[in-house]
Amino acid sequence: MLRIYRCLLYLYPAVHREQFGDEMTAVFRDIQAETAPKGIAAHAVFCARETTGLLAGALQQRVRALDRVSVWLLFSTRRFTMRTEFRFPKSTPALMTIILAGIILAIEKAKAIQASLPATNPHIGPIQPAHFTFLPNVVLALAFFYMAGMFGWAILFAMHRSGVHRLADVSGEQK
Amino acid sequence: MGTLPLTEPVLLILLSLAGQPRHGYSVLKDVEQMSDGRVVLSTGTLYGALRRLLDDEWIERFEEEESSRGRQAYRLTPQGRRNLQLEVSRMKHLTRLANLRIALKEI
Repeated sequence: MLRIYRCLLYLYPAVHREQFGDEMTAVFRDIQAETAPKGIAAHAVFCARETTGLLAGALQQRVRALDRVSVWLLFSTRRFTMRTEFRFPKSTPALMTIILAGIILAIEKAKAIQASLPATNPHIGPIQPAHFTFLPNVVLALAFFYMAGMFGWAILFAMHRSGVHRLADVSGEQK
Repeated sequence: MGTLPLTEPVLLILLSLAGQPRHGYSVLKDVEQMSDGRVVLSTGTLYGALRRLLDDEWIERFEEEESSRGRQAYRLTPQGRRNLQLEVSRMKHLTRLANLRIALKEI
């Protein structure tokens, strides 16, 4: 039974196992030694209790571990249990639902307008650009970012050469 | 865990530690004794509760000096003791109220 108990302990998250594994095993061993003389029935009850307790405990600890990474969000009835500084107010789901409904309504309205347009306006056809300007623009943008990068690097290099970064090491006290 | 009201096993664990620091096995036995054998905790339940109480800083863990095996023992923190007192006060109030209501009904 002790071997099974140790195996079942692997169902727990590693943190819990490292913190309490040895202690739990020692307590289990003590209770087992105490129950052994009481007969098979008492031992069976003890084994059943320990097995169910371990399984339930492992599940609980796993859920707790999940809770810490905020996967429990959807099922939480209280404030969302994220890190304190990132907590959402309770009204967040309602507001998000309203916003989503607004977006869906806007899309549907736009589709209706689009469908009604061909009847009132004549078809114009696809608009073709007079000159193909995409590639030159990309090249120009890349050149601009390259020049900006070079300029920034030059400033940093000049500051480094001037030794300005060493000012950070100067404290107010005179040595 | 860190909210009131407490579940019965957790309340019994806290009451067990209120008198003196104890290690896991001692807590198990004391809980069983306090509840007249009605609440028998498994190690999984006990250590799940202890971990939550530790996380919430209601109890603290320390190594027993007297023990040759270097066993870990647990004791209540001031915060844990305060919360336990709050819970006991709440239960006292409830019991008083329940007694009053039941007495009124009998009249």
